[in-house]
Amino acid sequence: MIPRYQRILFYTLAGCIALMTLFLLRGCQQAHKRLAAVDNAAPIAAPTNTATEDTTLYLASDADATITPTNRQLALPQEPTTRARTLLDHLFAEYAIPTSSHPLQPGSAVDDVFLLPLPNATPDAAAPQLAVVNLRSTFVANHPSGIEVEELTIQSIIGTLHAAFPQLTQIRFLVDGQPHDTLAGHADLQRIYPAIDTTFKPAPLILTQEAPAK
Amino acid sequence: MNQPPHQPALKQIAARAAVALSLLSATAAPLQAQTLSRNIIVLDPAHGGTDTGARLTDKLAEKDFTLSFEQRLRPLLTAAGFTVVSTRDADPSSTLTNDQRAGTANHVHALACLLLHATPSGSGVHISTSTLTPSNSSDSVPWNAAQSPYLYLSLRLANELGVGLLHANIPPLLAHTTVHPIDNLTCPAIALEVAPLTSSGNTTPITDTTYQQRVAQAITTALISWRNHAAPPSKPAIPKPPAPPAATPAQPAAPTSPAGAPR
Repeated sequence: MIPRYQRILFYTLAGCIALMTLFLLRGCQQAHKRLAAVDNAAPIAAPTNTATEDTTLYLASDADATITPTNRQLALPQEPTTRARTLLDHLFAEYAIPTSSHPLQPGSAVDDVFLLPLPNATPDAAAPQLAVVNLRSTFVANHPSGIEVEELTIQSIIGTLHAAFPQLTQIRFLVDGQPHDTLAGHADLQRIYPAIDTTFKPAPLILTQEAPAK
Repeated sequence: MNQPPHQPALKQIAARAAVALSLLSATAAPLQAQTLSRNIIVLDPAHGGTDTGARLTDKLAEKDFTLSFEQRLRPLLTAAGFTVVSTRDADPSSTLTNDQRAGTANHVHALACLLLHATPSGSGVHISTSTLTPSNSSDSVPWNAAQSPYLYLSLRLANELGVGLLHANIPPLLAHTTVHPIDNLTCPAIALEVAPLTSSGNTTPITDTTYQQRVAQAITTALISWRNHAAPPSKPAIPKPPAPPAATPAQPAAPTSPAGAPR
């Protein structure tokens, strides 16, 4: 004969097990709904049409150390700082292609671009400006190391910004908001670079001198 | 918003043409190589200490390559009659500052200062000069633009080395760099970056000792040529014929060595 208190304990425990099972099933259903909502690609806001425009990217090539202006049709925002950052995102997307002539690791390279009026400049649209390019530390850490490859990246950024923002006269670089010595051990990131056309082709050798003795 | 690139490109071409013209006319250079010690070469094996530089292979860091390449180049230069001054002969426990490196180089008034680097990307040897604008005056030059008066000579040195490498069938690539401490050097200065050699689909790795020896030999040959072109040896004094006997008392002999002979 099973004592009465043991039967009460058994039925209580069985009831608890049933409740916990229901609770777990309910939790699983809710989690499934939450995950399904993340994957839902249904549009929420109405799409906006942004017209593409002719934009010049200054593309680098490691093989011959050249910087070549190349036209691309890109849709860019109008707000200047967002426009500058988007422009650089497009530039680095070109380099993230495996067949790129200046291959860089894919991923976001630029955190922000700030366009600041230079001291003593008149406050009009054509006044000379300083661009501060804030690079991500992950980009800097993964950038190939070498004099040529680093200089090409810097000159490519400068040329592209100069072409899109003619009022820029100076460009400087930060990494995660802080000054940084070099890009990947070679190209100087401490200096302020002049914003100029950086189209570059290595100078041909001048062969006027006699051949060196072997 | 876009600016057509032709106008700045034209300006740049004009600037390059001006530099090329001044390269050909050595007399236009404000500083002549004769003011430098014609037998001293400064080698700066880049990086060292905690600064490892680029990762060339799984086991080889740039700082170790540059040091071993300096040790490969040094005996060749010494055999060619050069005195080699190096900014480091071993891997220092603490990283040398750029100012220390520049100070070592600037004290000896070298005929050439070579910053040795290496990279796993590209091909051949990359020869880079400073991005500064060549200056016509060596008066009151700030530290960060100390290379400026020497830039004409640096460009000529880069050309000489490029020609030397070309003769050794190693493709040179002439460019500009902001690498430290090139802007602080008061000597004809270039940054030499050794890269793997790619020719007709075959790639010779940077670790190939035969390739390294070829590069070192080509640099040595080019530096001998640079010494002969930029700082030729002093001409021997031309002895004057003995004065014919005369009735007047003998005059003191004229100095036989020309004044201001190059070193």
